Amino acid sequence: MLEVADRPASPETEHFDSSAPAAPKRSSGLSLNAVNNWVPHDLVMRDSWFPLAHDHAVGKTPVRRAVYSHPFYIWREDGKVVASEFHPLEIVTRDKSPFTDARGRYPVMEHYGLIWGWFGRPEAADPAHLPSLPFLPPKGGLPKHMTATIRFDCSAPISLENLIDLTHADFLHADVVGDEKSDSEEVEVYYDSETITMVRTLVNKSVAPIMKFFSGIRQPTQNVRQVIRIYLRSHCAIAYGRFSPGDDVPLFHPCTPESRDRTRMEMVMNTSNAGPMFRHVMPKAGYKVSRQDSSMTNPQSPRYMDLSPRKDLHSKFDQAGQRYRLLMMELAARQDAGDFAYRDNVSTDCSDIIGLRKELFQF
Amino acid sequence: MSSPWWKVALSEEITSTKPFAVDVGDQPVVLWRDAQGIARALEDRCPHRRAPLSRGCVRDNGWLQCGYHGWSYDGETGRLKDIPNMKDEQKFPPVYKAAAFAVSESGGFVSVNLDQKTAIAPPVVPQGFDLCDTAHVALGHDQWINALFDDPGLVLNIRSVEFTPYLMSDLREENGLLVMERFCLWGKVHWPSYATAEFPITLITRTHPVTGETEAVLRDDSFRTLLTAQLAPVPAARGVTQVRWRARLGDDLKGSHAVGLRHKGAFAVRETVDAAALRVLIASASHLAGKLREDIRTSAPDTASSVSAAA
Repeated sequence: MLEVADRPASPETEHFDSSAPAAPKRSSGLSLNAVNNWVPHDLVMRDSWFPLAHDHAVGKTPVRRAVYSHPFYIWREDGKVVASEFHPLEIVTRDKSPFTDARGRYPVMEHYGLIWGWFGRPEAADPAHLPSLPFLPPKGGLPKHMTATIRFDCSAPISLENLIDLTHADFLHADVVGDEKSDSEEVEVYYDSETITMVRTLVNKSVAPIMKFFSGIRQPTQNVRQVIRIYLRSHCAIAYGRFSPGDDVPLFHPCTPESRDRTRMEMVMNTSNAGPMFRHVMPKAGYKVSRQDSSMTNPQSPRYMDLSPRKDLHSKFDQAGQRYRLLMMELAARQDAGDFAYRDNVSTDCSDIIGLRKELFQF
Repeated sequence: MSSPWWKVALSEEITSTKPFAVDVGDQPVVLWRDAQGIARALEDRCPHRRAPLSRGCVRDNGWLQCGYHGWSYDGETGRLKDIPNMKDEQKFPPVYKAAAFAVSESGGFVSVNLDQKTAIAPPVVPQGFDLCDTAHVALGHDQWINALFDDPGLVLNIRSVEFTPYLMSDLREENGLLVMERFCLWGKVHWPSYATAEFPITLITRTHPVTGETEAVLRDDSFRTLLTAQLAPVPAARGVTQVRWRARLGDDLKGSHAVGLRHKGAFAVRETVDAAALRVLIASASHLAGKLREDIRTSAPDTASSVSAAA
């Protein structure tokens, strides 16, 4: 069940759907029509935790990361992780940014097996703003084969918009997750000011080839419930698929904006409950799937660097994508006006929202 | 907007024994050194019968003599100084002159400014780059710079270095220059770049928004400078870009790949560009560069510092 605090998407749409009622006007904020002024390249989110590295990747030697081109050098001092905008060996010739303390250090924390860096006002850093990822052990410890680093040649919002419209998967990733054939498909969208959740329910969908080969599914079809939940500020997503027959596949899919046109994903897929073959193979599918995504999102990205007088066209399956655009633009507008407050809590356990089968993920 | 200085030659290319022909766009220019060793530049066109002066010679007194009828010109002013067999009648009206261009020499490059009246010479820096060469590329000046922004591997060849699509920082304006930093890999067996967690080296480029003059610094993950190169692309006739470059290795090269840079040919500007790869190259950084270059040119046309001076 979905959390009641999450507002269901209104039927206002710009897509081609003759059965849909006329779009009601919003009383406040941006009109849905604003999604056509979507310039994701210009969106910069502050006061947020960004996942920067897997905990196993950080030792005594600094590793280099970035958020919106701001350098983050991360290493451990006496086992404790630190993040600085200056490399310890760097001859500093540039000014300190306002995003670090007097020593040039960012707020940083370790949770869910990841290193999280705070980008924004250091004094506002609060673990309470860490996204809820209930399928990951809070203290980490998942085997390395369930983790990977993958990069996308596009801006982070483009990558997330791609993710939240899962109809792309039936075509771009058909060889991994199955084609578009199903008896029925339903998409629901829920959101608040900090998150958006899309639930896609399919009946008798073509079985995912990867499950056919590595989970031993013999039936030609399976019922699928896929959930994408995006934490807007931190550009983190949960992609949780429940396949019947089949396995539960919860994926942490962050899209850290290292620069405004390149994205880093420190992914974690908890396949602990799956069979031994699938458990090892499925996380590796990310390497293939990401290339398939990049083949489209890479050429897309520069086309969203400027305002265009030509509107995008939408279908009824784009509700979530349109809402995502709108929420990001609203949040960005609020931040531009100097309001960085969290109006909704992102760290509250979202197990119910994503329909997580908690019995499978006890830590 | 003031006329830019173009690095049209390496210092070694300009001598007092043989004139040297270059062009800046469609403007042919001849360079040589006069009797004092000062580099001079005239329009490569004899005002007498329009013959290229570069096909002439440099006289012992430092004048440039046309190879057609022997008319001789002073490099500083362009004034006609001598017509063979005119004996004592060697006084010529002021209009008897070739168009002279301002010349500056710094850091091992000879630069010309096509506007001699308003040109202010850039600051002189010493030459400390021992590697150098010139490449002629059949690609327009703007397109060459855009390729450098989007995929340096199409226009540069650094031994064992693979340029990845991943930027450490977006292209940005810094002191009037366009600055970006790109992750690179050593050319060896490794994960494909899209799945690589850590990159061992980066390439930082600082590019002049008008001339495209670029300082490129290859650095490892411990902030050691492995190689510094200065690239000077100049638009030439027929859409060709002439790229003069100088490079030097870092003092502290660690690791076999870095040490391998000491071998001959470790750095080069590519003479040919893979057109098939270029055609499908996604304009990303160059897209931003186009806007930034225009902004810088219009808002503060004279504030862009020279690349070598800024470095």
